[in-house]
Amino acid sequence: MVVMNVPDDLLYSSDHEWIQISATHARIGITDYAQDALGDVVYVQVPTVGVAVVVGESFSEVESTKSVSDIYAPVSGVVIEVNEALGSDPAAVNSDPYGAGWLCVIEMSATNEIDALLAADAYRALTEG
Amino acid sequence: MDDLQYSPLDAAHRALGAKMVPFGGWDMPLSYPSGTIDEHMACRTAAVAFDVSHLGTVRVGGSDAFERLQWAFTNDLGKIGSGRAQYTHLLDESDGSVLDDIIIWWVDDDTFDVMPNASNTDRVRNAIGGQETTHSRAIIAVQGPQARARLMTVFAEASAVKRFHVVHAVWDDVPCIVAGTGYTGEDGVEISIPADMAPRLWAKLLEADITPAGLGARDTLRLEAALPLHGHELGAGITPLQAGLGWVVAWTKGDFRGRAALEVQQAQGVSRRLRGIVTEGRRPPREGCAVLVDDQVVGALTSGNFSPILGHGIALAFLPTEMVDGTPVVIDIRGSALGGTVVATPFVAKQK
Repeated sequence: MVVMNVPDDLLYSSDHEWIQISATHARIGITDYAQDALGDVVYVQVPTVGVAVVVGESFSEVESTKSVSDIYAPVSGVVIEVNEALGSDPAAVNSDPYGAGWLCVIEMSATNEIDALLAADAYRALTEG
Repeated sequence: MDDLQYSPLDAAHRALGAKMVPFGGWDMPLSYPSGTIDEHMACRTAAVAFDVSHLGTVRVGGSDAFERLQWAFTNDLGKIGSGRAQYTHLLDESDGSVLDDIIIWWVDDDTFDVMPNASNTDRVRNAIGGQETTHSRAIIAVQGPQARARLMTVFAEASAVKRFHVVHAVWDDVPCIVAGTGYTGEDGVEISIPADMAPRLWAKLLEADITPAGLGARDTLRLEAALPLHGHELGAGITPLQAGLGWVVAWTKGDFRGRAALEVQQAQGVSRRLRGIVTEGRRPPREGCAVLVDDQVVGALTSGNFSPILGHGIALAFLPTEMVDGTPVVIDIRGSALGGTVVATPFVAKQK
């Protein structure tokens, strides 16, 4: 069994996204566990800057050779920055899910939504359970 | 759930860290840690080994074996002979649709190994009789432009088996059957080896720099080569004529199962035919997506994916016969439109 990387300094959603909070900004991507489960990512529907997202609702898709997976917004807000490089190099989601594989930055509209996210230990328990 | 069947190479796959998936009632490798794309590219540029032990083997023997198979299947064994392999179809007598697509290895004068798709093995055995020998052997497919060169160092006799030839060969005192067949659009051979000896041969192949590849790569490779997959491009309601596989039907050989139904369709002509579609960009078109021309649905995709070699989407669909190559189409992917073009197949040309 491969041990999945779950950095301690990030927050996580039960939909297997990671969230890095900086004031009112949330940088997000999919976790090591998620990329491993998907297999080789061949396409990322990079969100559009300025689009409003609602917590729990799908706003993007990641597709591998075997399946398509919705990306659910872990927090509500407006997309203010996107990783355009994923358009030509979606494999970065596999090779560096917490770095070059980041998806977008959301300007949060309700920072209290952070409270519902999981700490690293809780997410590790979720994926190992 | 644990009525899954396991390959003789199961432990080897797990030791390599393969992701296993149920397929046709078998637990088989989807991919190894290097991933589907790397495995795909290794097959197009070098050499890979697939465990295809999940394919069925039904051994049919006896002096009437030839006649039984001539009646059961569409192709004409009279065009080949002992020591050759042939692709053929088992039809539904009522409507001529393809119950299974099969490779026959003509092993000896009166002995044939009939190889159905995993989930159709019982159906085929019911149609032709014979003895199922699936569990006594493993089958390893070695494929790719370097397949023969790398296999030469491990199993020279197997590396010399020509395309669609079938040969008895001995590896390390173990009797094997080797055929120059495959499902990737590349050169290569398939080796049937007694189950208990298979892990040793598998290990030697990997030592010879042959990359293990899983069902994920097998599917993207066969799609680039536009080879049909039963349950997608072949199956209930689909005849060989619609699938563009009229060459599999030997009209000159006399009667065969499903012939009458197929003759009716042959006379009327087919209204839909299997076609290739290339799509714009990396987004994979998927099975089930609707195909539209001028906002009218004209068909649905039977298979679709990202082509690692071409760098864009490719798909197969049954489309109206009158549609010419070059026709622009729109693929509806869960409500968003993806542009595409009808093209001739294969998407990736066969290696010589």
